[in-house]
Amino acid sequence: MKFLFNTGRTIRQGSYVERKNAPSYREEASAIRMNPVDMFEMMVEEGDRVRVKSSTGEVVMKARADPGLVRGRVFCSLGPYANHIVSPETHGTGMPDFKVTEVEIEPTQDPVSSVAMLMGQCGGVPYED
Amino acid sequence: MRIEDVVCSFCGCLCDDLVVEVEGTRVINVENGCTLANEKFMGDHRLEAPIRRSGGKWEKVSYEEAIAETAGILLDADRPLLYGWSGTYGEAQTIGVHLAEVLGAVIDNTSTVCHGPSIMAIQEVGHPGCTLGQVKNRADVVVYWGANPVDAHPRHMSRYTTYCDGFFVKNAFRERKVVVVDVRETESSQVADEFVKVNPGGDYAVLSALRAIVRGKRDIIPPDVEGVSREQLFRVADMCIAAKFGAFFFGVGLTMAPGKNKNIRNAIELTEELNRHTKFTISPMRGHWNVYGSNEVFTWITGYPFAVDFARGIAFYNPGETTSVDILRRGECDACLVVASDPGAHFPRACAEHLARIPTVQIDPHVNVTTHLSRIQIPVAVAGIDAEGTAYRMDGVPIRTRKLFQGRYPDDLEVLEKIYAIVKEAKG
Repeated sequence: MKFLFNTGRTIRQGSYVERKNAPSYREEASAIRMNPVDMFEMMVEEGDRVRVKSSTGEVVMKARADPGLVRGRVFCSLGPYANHIVSPETHGTGMPDFKVTEVEIEPTQDPVSSVAMLMGQCGGVPYED
Repeated sequence: MRIEDVVCSFCGCLCDDLVVEVEGTRVINVENGCTLANEKFMGDHRLEAPIRRSGGKWEKVSYEEAIAETAGILLDADRPLLYGWSGTYGEAQTIGVHLAEVLGAVIDNTSTVCHGPSIMAIQEVGHPGCTLGQVKNRADVVVYWGANPVDAHPRHMSRYTTYCDGFFVKNAFRERKVVVVDVRETESSQVADEFVKVNPGGDYAVLSALRAIVRGKRDIIPPDVEGVSREQLFRVADMCIAAKFGAFFFGVGLTMAPGKNKNIRNAIELTEELNRHTKFTISPMRGHWNVYGSNEVFTWITGYPFAVDFARGIAFYNPGETTSVDILRRGECDACLVVASDPGAHFPRACAEHLARIPTVQIDPHVNVTTHLSRIQIPVAVAGIDAEGTAYRMDGVPIRTRKLFQGRYPDDLEVLEKIYAIVKEAKG
């Protein structure tokens, strides 16, 4: 199904900002909030894994129900998971389109990568503290 | 030891009423702080020592080695990028700008991915702002647009708006009207007197409609503007016109959404229209602690607030060209020094990939996402905890932070001065 992907701050993401290797940060930064009716139509339950694809890339996230979202729109806290699929185009402003990325979402059994693994995919070398 | 009036070093609110209890080199209790402040002060997750990536592995190195190697990387580069600066204090930011000038580098701060577009709009039409104290004591209408203070600035509402009584607003909760404009419901929208739900990307049109109404052109407003009914627009406009003192606060919901700097320009021009009827101000909700200070320091020294390019030997500024995301996505820089920020987490993937390709050095107290992309990381003291310096609150008020204890880490200033000394000597 197609969705409009939005990113922003959450208080949990802010709380874990100095422990980005920790599972708690991964849980929050990789959670994709969806309208419960959309989840029902996709046969996705709270905590199920979904693959989120944009024209830039794809990443596995965990679905979280949010009745405050209109159908067809999803929200994820800003961070490395969201940025895996956000385009770097800035339209001459220096600012990418963090608020409006068109994505396709489908259920998956693939695991959610750790932050270190995600950066490994970008060419980095994971540092385990 | 119990220390009063401690300044928080997390978000742009710089709350200065914390009471912190210190035992040795650890904070053991925080009073008055929000969740973010508690985590900031009580957290104990620092990188132990400088680390260097050697092949596919990490190894510990001495500060001297890490500093010398960092200076060498910067000296070898043709187009170095010095990025970050918002989590540190003004004195360290100053050395950063001088370092950029000596190197002929680009220096940019985190406003490039938060309120850079706001600054671009302010450069076009000015900034009718005020201090948070004015809002607290006078504002009877507060509008949060594209901002979610409950999550991002948890004490903004209790220190300055919804829940805070002021000199002319004796019973804020009843007397002060709060409007939240956003594309989704949030905890902030739930406490608002009026929640205006806008379609994604529809802010510019809604701002234009409000400007038209304030101008007296009600008859041209269609029944629905980007998901907002004409009746609600009239109601909000009337509430603003009837205010004795109104304050807009806008967040990255406006600067990151389609329209970006033009959204902010429109919001400032709406504020200007409202000032024909009453007193209204507008201010950005600056997020990352001293990001406002980085704009101030950059501007004092170079004339420009962010994205400053010294490659020509003079300061040059052109957002879209000299901004970090653009430089990284074009694969243009051949070395990067990251100070007090985390572009690995907050830049799109293409930028992270380039940071991993080039020698990236990070100066930061904690392991973060950029750590995995770096060649070297140098841990330093945390500004406002074991390092002191001056930071700017989101309304442009400079506040001196204190050192709560003497820790074992050098501070940003000390490390940057050593790098600068090596570079300066080499450059002559």
